[in-house]
Amino acid sequence: MDEFQEILQDFLVESFELIEQLDQDLVELESRPDDLDLLNRIFRVAHTIKGASSFLNFDVLTHLTHHMENLLNMARHGDLVIDADVMDVILESIDLMKALLGRIRDCGEDSGLEVEPCVLRLDAVANGTAIPSSAPAVAPAPEPVPEPVVQNVSEEEADYSGMSEEEVEAEIERLIAVRQAEDAAKRANKAPSASSEEEPDYSGMSEEEVEAEIERLIAIRQAEDAAKRSNKAATNESEEKKPEPVASAPVPVSAPVVVAKPEPIAPKAAPAPRKVESKDEGEGRGGASAVEQTIRVDVKRLDHLMNLIGELVLGKNRLIKINDDVEERYEGEAFLEELNQVVSIVSLVTTDLQIAVMKTRMLPIGKVFNKFPRMIRDLSRELNKKIELEITGEETELDKSIVEEIGDPLVHIIRNSCDHGIETPEIRLAAGKEEMGTIQLKAYHEGNHIVIQIIDDGKGLDAEMLKLKSIEKGIITEKEADTMSEKEAFGLIFRPGFSTAAQVTSVSGRGVGMDVVKTNIEKLNGMIDIDSEVGRGTSMKLKIPLTLAIIQALLVGVQEEYYAIPLASVLETVRISKDEIYTVENRSVMRLRDEVLSLVHIGDIFEVERVFDNSEHAYVVVLGLAESKIGLIVDSLVGQEEIVIKSLGEYLKGIDGIAGATIRGDGGVTLIVDVAALMQMAKSVKSTVGQESAESKNRSGAKNSASDYCVMIVDDSKTDRTIMRKSIEPMGITIVEATDGVEALNILKQGDHNFDGMLIDIEMPRMDGYTLAAEIKKYNKYKNLALIAVTSRTGKADRMRGVESGMVEYITKPYSPEYLMSVVKRNIKFNEGL
Amino acid sequence: MSEKLQQIINKQHKTLSGDDVKIDEVIQLVGFIVGDEEFSVPILSIQEIIKPISWTRVPQTPNYILGVFNLRGAVIPLIDLRSRFGLETIKHTEETRFIVMKNGDDVAGFVIDRLTEAIRLPKKDVGPAPDTINEEDSMIDGVGKQSDRIITILKVDKLLERNF
Repeated sequence: MDEFQEILQDFLVESFELIEQLDQDLVELESRPDDLDLLNRIFRVAHTIKGASSFLNFDVLTHLTHHMENLLNMARHGDLVIDADVMDVILESIDLMKALLGRIRDCGEDSGLEVEPCVLRLDAVANGTAIPSSAPAVAPAPEPVPEPVVQNVSEEEADYSGMSEEEVEAEIERLIAVRQAEDAAKRANKAPSASSEEEPDYSGMSEEEVEAEIERLIAIRQAEDAAKRSNKAATNESEEKKPEPVASAPVPVSAPVVVAKPEPIAPKAAPAPRKVESKDEGEGRGGASAVEQTIRVDVKRLDHLMNLIGELVLGKNRLIKINDDVEERYEGEAFLEELNQVVSIVSLVTTDLQIAVMKTRMLPIGKVFNKFPRMIRDLSRELNKKIELEITGEETELDKSIVEEIGDPLVHIIRNSCDHGIETPEIRLAAGKEEMGTIQLKAYHEGNHIVIQIIDDGKGLDAEMLKLKSIEKGIITEKEADTMSEKEAFGLIFRPGFSTAAQVTSVSGRGVGMDVVKTNIEKLNGMIDIDSEVGRGTSMKLKIPLTLAIIQALLVGVQEEYYAIPLASVLETVRISKDEIYTVENRSVMRLRDEVLSLVHIGDIFEVERVFDNSEHAYVVVLGLAESKIGLIVDSLVGQEEIVIKSLGEYLKGIDGIAGATIRGDGGVTLIVDVAALMQMAKSVKSTVGQESAESKNRSGAKNSASDYCVMIVDDSKTDRTIMRKSIEPMGITIVEATDGVEALNILKQGDHNFDGMLIDIEMPRMDGYTLAAEIKKYNKYKNLALIAVTSRTGKADRMRGVESGMVEYITKPYSPEYLMSVVKRNIKFNEGL
Repeated sequence: MSEKLQQIINKQHKTLSGDDVKIDEVIQLVGFIVGDEEFSVPILSIQEIIKPISWTRVPQTPNYILGVFNLRGAVIPLIDLRSRFGLETIKHTEETRFIVMKNGDDVAGFVIDRLTEAIRLPKKDVGPAPDTINEEDSMIDGVGKQSDRIITILKVDKLLERNF
């Protein structure tokens, strides 16, 4: 049974592949009815499926494909002209065939679908227009052979258990008779090709001969199957009654016939269709050997491989980061060179490996495009329009998961183009256009993206009309409409509930389609760009990243946090000054060239606490997704990095604005921004751009006693700290000591004390005084903290650096205790009166 | 003779199964302090216990969720048990630990003030949660009594359940 399942799987995979090609060929055939190559190819598909299905005893499918084959064969011989009506019947039968195959895949049998009407139509077309003499010659001849046998099988099988011994014997006798008759027929069949009896020279045969041969082999196989089954039944029965004698005697008689035959036949049967096929493949692709070089792999394995590569990429990022650190610390050491080399080789190989694995997951987009010629044909007949589809770049490859997702959106877009875009022939002619409308479907690579373009030469989108419709349907307000650019108006077609069709047809107008397009493209992190001109046509550009698991991201910083934005959604980054941000109706906007871009601060979306000072400048990351655009204000741009998307797990899934997390080179976790959700959130977020946080103003509470004043002494030398402490202790203020910059910063951040001033030594291990001062001044809330340098460095340059980093005073060692105290008092505004 | 043998075997069997029963009756817990109270969870629900490492804040979450951290390549949520229990948060000390607990596929790290010890508690010393606590929503599985102290046993599945 397992073996059967395996064969069945192969059969299904092969059949579906064949059918995919079939649709396209058929539509092409309609425009070139006399293309024999095309016709042959189609014929062979029907034939292959028929052959295989009869092997597997799918009677209904065999029955249907047989009649299709019959009809196509006539066309092939020029006995039948394929016109649109014939085509309709053929296409109908192919749909039926697909449905049957679908049933076989789902429930393992081909029953439950009514094929008879279709078969009758096929026959009617065949007989109605055919020259009678040729039809029976090719078709009915082989038919009787398989049909009755199949029927016999079912009859016999039911009966065996109930048969008496005599009956069994009679049956066996009958079967032998049948077998002999067949053998005779076979011999007769073989006669014409007598020369090739031993080692049949199939290549020398005409196609008809090959077919006849195949037909014959199938018939034999079926007869054998039947015989085998009957034998088995007979054996079982006899064994039940008595171990060895009478009944089993006839069995060996037929058994050798049965067992011996398949051996030579089976291998023959296999190569016969293969050869035909591969010859055709060879012609089609220019190399027969290519067929042998492929291997089917379970997608799960590829997914697993991709996950492993993801881990490797993370490891690589980490290694690079460590390498950088080591480089900094051990500058000039000999082993660095070696380490460098290893790291770069590892990173190079990892990148190559990643690309290689990605490529194994790639499929040509033609897999999706193939179904469109057929769709266009059906639509144009249904809508009474003349539409031609031009496909280019179907060999462009992209990730399997994306190929699966992209089909639906494309169907909707193309349907839309046919229904709303292309006009009826009369209108087209009146408008001075060609009667035949054209839809171009293009695919090509652009950097790390694949671009799919759908261009029609129809009536185009009318921005004003779109706006009016939207206001009418309550999708937008009149005010919104006024400020809308043309591009934004085009984007309205993606709003749920929007439909420009005056009446609902079976094709479109229900107002769901384009909405689906947008969601699906957004899911893929893709962008949609619409261009349209009234009367000239519409061009829709879908830009989709090549792969989903490992992506390029732009890392941005906001305050002390970092976020990763998928680079696929980043259009550009600009540095602006705060003056360039305008507020319109409580929303921040800026001018970007000739566009008005609405802005949102990433800190407002992700509730980031504002601790740093707002600088004069800001970076704006312009995000584009599907057809919308937004400017995201961030504090800093960190750079571009390859990241692996990890989920946040069950506990934290579904958080607005976060698509997942990734692990950075330093081992930390960085969240990945979900651009689609972010754009949604931006609509409801209150803008605080340019507003200062009010918090810092209330920080320095009232001072009631001397000990409310607090000063930190930062020096690595114990002696120096003691001298300073002794100098200012008499004031009675609280004093905290730190031994270096890092410690000082930590004490400050902990917030246990509200410091009024700091005495900072310049030269310290880990973090020096200048760096410390600069770090402190980054924070908004320490704006009023007095930083006083206490150092033995006396150079002017040192003083300058001190001022630059935010120090207010510069005291050189040695100093008198009184002087230090007075400086401190002055700077922390110490109230003597207390 | 054979009867005697049978008896001996039976006897051995009894003592063996008797031991089994005894082992079954003891539950192993890991005790820890949050605030002023000692809590515990079954030792088998603990994946590991680590010293505090840096984590990343996740926006749009309740404040007891500190964020996520990287545990050897896995991104794991970090929950502060102090604020989860409605206590005031404190700074992490030398004794602060992250306990990584798992229940099936759900994994999360929990911040606790300090560890106490691994506890072996006979089942008979475990009482039900006080009646005053609502059965359904309670995070308390039961209360263990040991010579001079009371240990609250927490429901790991409740701890790992998202409730926002």
